[in-house]
Amino acid sequence: MPEEILNEIVEPQERDHDHERNGKHGHGKRGHGHRHGKPKESVKPGSLKYVWRSVSHNKGAVAGMVMLAAIVILCVLSPYICRYGYADFNITEWYQTPNWNHLLGTDQMGRDLLSRVLYGARYTLVIGITATAMSAVLGILLGAVAGYFGGFVDSCVMRFLDLFQAFPTLVLAMAFCAVFGTGVDKCILALGITGIPGFARLMRANILRIANMEYIEAARTINCPTWKTILRHIIPNSVSPVIVEIAMTISRNGLTSSSLSFLGLGVQAPKPEWGAMLSEARSYIRDYPHMVIVPGLFIVITVLSFNLIGDAFRDALDPTLKD
Amino acid sequence: MQDKMNQASLFQVKNLTVEYHSGDSIIHAVSGVSFDLQPGETLGLVGETGAGKTTIARASLRILPEYSVERVDGEILYNGEDILKMNDAQLRKLRGEHISMIFQDPMTALNPVKTVMSQIAEGYKEHHKCTQAEANRRAIEMLEMVGIGADRANEYPHQFSGGMKQRVVIALALACSPKVLIADEPTTALDVTIQAQVLDLIKGLRNELGTAMILITHDLGIVADVCDKVCVIYAGRIVESGTKEDIFDHPTHPYTQGLFAALPDLEHDVPRLKPIEGLPPDPSQERRFCDFLDRCPHRCRACKAFAKDSMIEVSPGHYSRCWRTGSEEA
Amino acid sequence: MAALIEVKNLKKYFKSAAGMVHAVDDISFEIQKGETVGLVGESGCGKSTLGRTLIHLNESTGGQIFYDGRDVTTLNKRQLVEFRRDVQMIFQDPFSSLDPRQTVQDIIEEPLHLTGGMNREQIRERTRELMDTVGIEKRLRMSYPHELDGGRRQRVGIARALALNPKFIVCDEPVSALDVSIQAQILNLLMDLQDQMGLTYLFITHDMSVVKHISNQICVMYLGQMVEKSPKDELFERPLHPYTKALLSAIPTTDIHHPKQRILLKGEIKSPINPGPGCRFASRCPYADEGCKAGVTLNEALPGHFVACNKAKEINLL
Repeated sequence: MPEEILNEIVEPQERDHDHERNGKHGHGKRGHGHRHGKPKESVKPGSLKYVWRSVSHNKGAVAGMVMLAAIVILCVLSPYICRYGYADFNITEWYQTPNWNHLLGTDQMGRDLLSRVLYGARYTLVIGITATAMSAVLGILLGAVAGYFGGFVDSCVMRFLDLFQAFPTLVLAMAFCAVFGTGVDKCILALGITGIPGFARLMRANILRIANMEYIEAARTINCPTWKTILRHIIPNSVSPVIVEIAMTISRNGLTSSSLSFLGLGVQAPKPEWGAMLSEARSYIRDYPHMVIVPGLFIVITVLSFNLIGDAFRDALDPTLKD
Repeated sequence: MQDKMNQASLFQVKNLTVEYHSGDSIIHAVSGVSFDLQPGETLGLVGETGAGKTTIARASLRILPEYSVERVDGEILYNGEDILKMNDAQLRKLRGEHISMIFQDPMTALNPVKTVMSQIAEGYKEHHKCTQAEANRRAIEMLEMVGIGADRANEYPHQFSGGMKQRVVIALALACSPKVLIADEPTTALDVTIQAQVLDLIKGLRNELGTAMILITHDLGIVADVCDKVCVIYAGRIVESGTKEDIFDHPTHPYTQGLFAALPDLEHDVPRLKPIEGLPPDPSQERRFCDFLDRCPHRCRACKAFAKDSMIEVSPGHYSRCWRTGSEEA
Repeated sequence: MAALIEVKNLKKYFKSAAGMVHAVDDISFEIQKGETVGLVGESGCGKSTLGRTLIHLNESTGGQIFYDGRDVTTLNKRQLVEFRRDVQMIFQDPFSSLDPRQTVQDIIEEPLHLTGGMNREQIRERTRELMDTVGIEKRLRMSYPHELDGGRRQRVGIARALALNPKFIVCDEPVSALDVSIQAQILNLLMDLQDQMGLTYLFITHDMSVVKHISNQICVMYLGQMVEKSPKDELFERPLHPYTKALLSAIPTTDIHHPKQRILLKGEIKSPINPGPGCRFASRCPYADEGCKAGVTLNEALPGHFVACNKAKEINLL
């Protein structure tokens, strides 16, 4: 069959799809988006929209966010919804197991465990988030400086941070607490310092990776000044893994702050910090296990929620998992 | 086609379909692929990125990434036994001893923390239940066969250049004298002169050991050099199959013709190349008509009237998926 | 005709733990205005380094590069900015050469913004024009690189390179990551652009058939040195250097009835770290003897055809 005839009988809708194809140079001119009906929406990799789309499809993350939201809301509302204050003691109602009056039971002084545990959430959250923010800011700064300048500066910064990393996190945090003393602010300071090396390392590795990409070289060929290259190309492409690390560090810090309090170094009893509550309750673990289980369960739920969310962020941001 | 398949084939793929899931969509990676391989024969699977070549190779050894596979259908017969139905013990015996594979990137196929000799010896020892000394001897023998001296046997993969690493991978793959060798783009990562050496090596070993081979590549030149039979794959389907002579002398499917036309020719100067317009279809879309319809220079309304599931026999053993094949000589 | 680019004894060494890597060693050549010089060689032979050093992405270790008669190696910062407008680069990997967080439009506009002298409207207009020139559909303006296929990504890279109206473009393996059918589209595009804009190319590749298709002159590199330099047809008809011969014979051909007689090289590739004097190909050369260890220079063996082999006359019966 001669070609002209064949081309003539191409179906009209077929032509519709192909209206662009006989362009100037005759290159292929069709994209994947339009060909099959609805055009695909462009989403910036790593943008909020993109991350949200991915995270909201992750069942674990949704569960984590729901649990976390519940804890935060209850924590904020606890003074209004709880029948008892977190510090109100009533010797006549001590050692109660969970019942209608005290949903989670009471402790050795008859304090309502629900009120205490909900109030205590603010310690864990505040310490976790503030300490993480502190280590993230300082760590990113140090890491970026080390990674970008390299050489001597890099060696100095990284060897200094190696000193910190030579100790187990908890031991280091305990040492700082021992030096600074007890209390929420001291605990934040201790955890904040301990977390710096992790962020610094991560940021440095990212900067080094991105700085070797061809698009950084391309930026040089179009006369992009160094500071603009850093601001526009290197930093935005380096932060994704840091976001993941932030979520993970919050959970880790929550856990460590509880550990410190449990050891009597962080927040002190009678403040209802979960670790401190555990510590107080541990003498009664045989007879009244609910006193240990309640704060323990809340620690687990909070840590788990942050981890689930962090994992979902990792999946959403990790470029190696993208198509 | 059926008659030929009923002959005792060493390795036979029947109606293989593989689907992956990715997010909400199903990726139709391989759809209804069939081919067979006689002992000592070399079959080339040619196609572009994403055509499904590697999926076929991985399915043949059951090493598809399980977490993303939605569905595997069809049969892959080795000596009449269906690989897709084998249990773990059978699979372990099959892999290496009967069928082995060479990957594109030699670095990912080698364990970086073990010497090349111990890696080759390990596989051999497991399959042959021999002593370590015997296994080591075999490993050195294999390394010498691929042109690596015994003095380098105790080196680690990173101490070898790309071409040498691929030689080690070949030695590893052939150590247990498999009957079928699946080579997935074995020379794509290598330089031309090294590629020539490696292809020569593969050809020599194949002839010497009588290994049947499936060579997966995007390079028609390599197919011309090494293969006896060729299957051209496009969007997960075989669009044309036949002997090397059939495909290279009388390409009939418009895609095959397009591939040849798009290659810069070393012998004749042409002012412009003839690219194939457009892009391969989206693998997540179910296609009712010919996969190549959008890009085909000969497309017409009649293309939508023909079932795409049948292939037309152009000449004995030479099949094409284009319905126009019979009506017009290309 | 004056040469647009003239390279004289260019050297680029890198420090490594094991010693000095001689990535580019004493290379001289010229590129005439409007022509395409193909630079071929295998991975690690220094061809990419040469390309990058040529447009001053790398500081050279020694030698001179003249662009339009001016020595590039002595330019100060301001002059360098001027120079970079005239020379551009198209990168090999269309996946890593585009910032994943920029839209197609951002990427193409960036050089225009940085150069200044245009208002927003003009920049938009120029971007539309560039997208049209390289054949990217307008609706893909707001797409991100990961949403495009390899061919389109490479077109975006080309559009970015063209934005400042360069005169000279270094194409570093621009098609080797692409499939055959897409590769042909990009090669055609590059040749069309050359015709329309009078561009001069240094085309770096390892693919001999691609280089034959696109180049006027071909330079063959081996381990940091230039081993042969000749007009295209001459090189393919009459390769003089044993390495070039092996390279040409190793290209897989689709002609199944006339298989080529391959020259298979034996021996190990010499390390580019402190290579010392002497022919670097000698370790793999079938003709090498003691005399080859002394050193080689690039000589004009035939008119316009240069070769760096002491035994070229002997081997080729000249």
